[in-house]
Amino acid sequence: MKKDPTMPFSISALRISRPTMPFGVSALRFTRTTLVYLLLIVVIIFLLFPVYWIVVTSLKTSGEALAYPPSLLPKAPTLDGYPYVIQSWNYWVSLTNTIVVAGFSALIEVILGGMAAYAFSRATFPGKSLMYGFLILSMALPWMVELGPIFITYNKLHWLDTRAGLVAVFVAGGLPFAVLVLYSFINSIPRELDDAAAIDGCGWFETLFRVIMPLSTTASTVTFLLLFISGWNEFLLPFILTVTPQTRVLTIRLMEYPVRTGVNVIPYELISAGGVLVLLPLIPILILSQKRLIEGILAGAFK
Amino acid sequence: MNPSNALIINDHPRLTVFWKGFKKFWPIYCLVMPAVLWRFIYTIIPLVETFRLSLTNTSLVNPGRFIGLTNFINLMHDDRFFSTFGVTVYFTITATLLETALGLVFALLMTQKLRGQSFFNVALLIPWAVAPMLAAQVWRIMFYENAGILNEIVKMLGFHFTIPFITDPNMAKVSIVIVTVWKNVSWVTLIFIAGLKGIQREIVEAAAVDGANAWQRFRFVTFPLLIPTTVLVLLLRSMGEVQTFEQVYGLTTGGPGAATKILALYAFERFFQEFRYGYGATVNIVLLFITVAIGGSFAWRLYRSERM
Repeated sequence: MKKDPTMPFSISALRISRPTMPFGVSALRFTRTTLVYLLLIVVIIFLLFPVYWIVVTSLKTSGEALAYPPSLLPKAPTLDGYPYVIQSWNYWVSLTNTIVVAGFSALIEVILGGMAAYAFSRATFPGKSLMYGFLILSMALPWMVELGPIFITYNKLHWLDTRAGLVAVFVAGGLPFAVLVLYSFINSIPRELDDAAAIDGCGWFETLFRVIMPLSTTASTVTFLLLFISGWNEFLLPFILTVTPQTRVLTIRLMEYPVRTGVNVIPYELISAGGVLVLLPLIPILILSQKRLIEGILAGAFK
Repeated sequence: MNPSNALIINDHPRLTVFWKGFKKFWPIYCLVMPAVLWRFIYTIIPLVETFRLSLTNTSLVNPGRFIGLTNFINLMHDDRFFSTFGVTVYFTITATLLETALGLVFALLMTQKLRGQSFFNVALLIPWAVAPMLAAQVWRIMFYENAGILNEIVKMLGFHFTIPFITDPNMAKVSIVIVTVWKNVSWVTLIFIAGLKGIQREIVEAAAVDGANAWQRFRFVTFPLLIPTTVLVLLLRSMGEVQTFEQVYGLTTGGPGAATKILALYAFERFFQEFRYGYGATVNIVLLFITVAIGGSFAWRLYRSERM
């Protein structure tokens, strides 16, 4: 075979050396992959063990929950704690409150946020950057600062302890996020569609309702879910703005330890059962729409 | 054209501009204003009111009168406030740095082209979806000293002592950081995964061809490209941590003693438990200024780096 002057070594030499390579490479990759997997298992345990632990503890009897040493699996799994917590928390009322408050506020946030996001994305108007900047920068304000005057005003207006008042505060809290996420989505819809609608004689509102909204049902749903979850988990606002048990939401109930009568110990299995009752309704949402939720979280962080 | 209309317009040029602007922009303002006004009413008005309250001695029973800067002077002589301030600074820095470092490591591990991506997604989303108050309760059960699982793990590892997770002042400070890191590290990881996926693979592969090993590729190629993401994470997380309330309230209520009393909790006690609105507002203003200072310093860095 004639030697090619541009090649430092012959192709046949490469061919010969090849069979020896895969073994070395795969051995190297095997140990590296194994190491990554081992580390990942540690990470997953760190992330999921606390949740596993409340599920397991909630299935134990009150004796086993306090027993030493703690058992990794319940010896005699029982659901006894759950009816007790459901009754003592008045769970169904609190669940309804949570769904109503988180649901309504998320809905209003998506509608108003979507309208604003559409205008910010498509129109130029006096005060645009001022308003957009205000919405985004106001996310940095701590709730604790706002809540004092809101509490005093609500007290004067007799809005304390009402679900509508709570929804109003939630909406104010979630609007910037809704605008951010929906803006990043609406901005990616081609403008040609707007132009086509404009040629057909559509105004701002008609374009929004006939072109943008049908295209952004998925984005709106994801935004709704993200806001719903954050409303579901909100503690500080309902903690300060509601008083009576009738308006209490689930996160507030977490502060009340259901105590069995005549037993003077911390009821770990009941606290755990309560925790599971708060978290469980969210799990299907997480599993079914994981990818979309992550896209939404990212859209809310990178603007 | 109505002649009377034309007359008015000619007489009032400013009105014309306004009217034309209104005619042109009213649909836009109808779309934007509900969101902006709603947000304005619930943020700017309470903010102004907080500043006003901080200059008065208002409380639940006292309608309050103007007392100038007395609240601020009292705050400067308030030892409990300074201890709170120290705890807040410690907590914010530790939690933010730990979250960012761990989040970066988790993200690097999860982007190694392995199977089970959707499982990783769910594993990350579950702590993210746990309410901060629930996170506090969950870890409280695990921190339990006598028969808690964490102390059992310590024992299984061969150590012959129990860690007083929430009863020891120094350990309690660590415990609130652990809970916060567990709660927020998923979010950081998700952001870093997105940042890592945004880096063009060719660049890293080129470095590998040039003979850079895994650490060098990370140190000199991947990490410099991740700096914008890291700055974003540090900014958003530190602003979040500085106003932490729920985990601390749920786990230790500021105790033992005042070891974990964080600024937001201190403001909460003054305002909503003692009903000293004036003094509470003063503490809130300090909280506000710290948040604005963090945000401002990052914004300044960003502004300078963009000009250069």
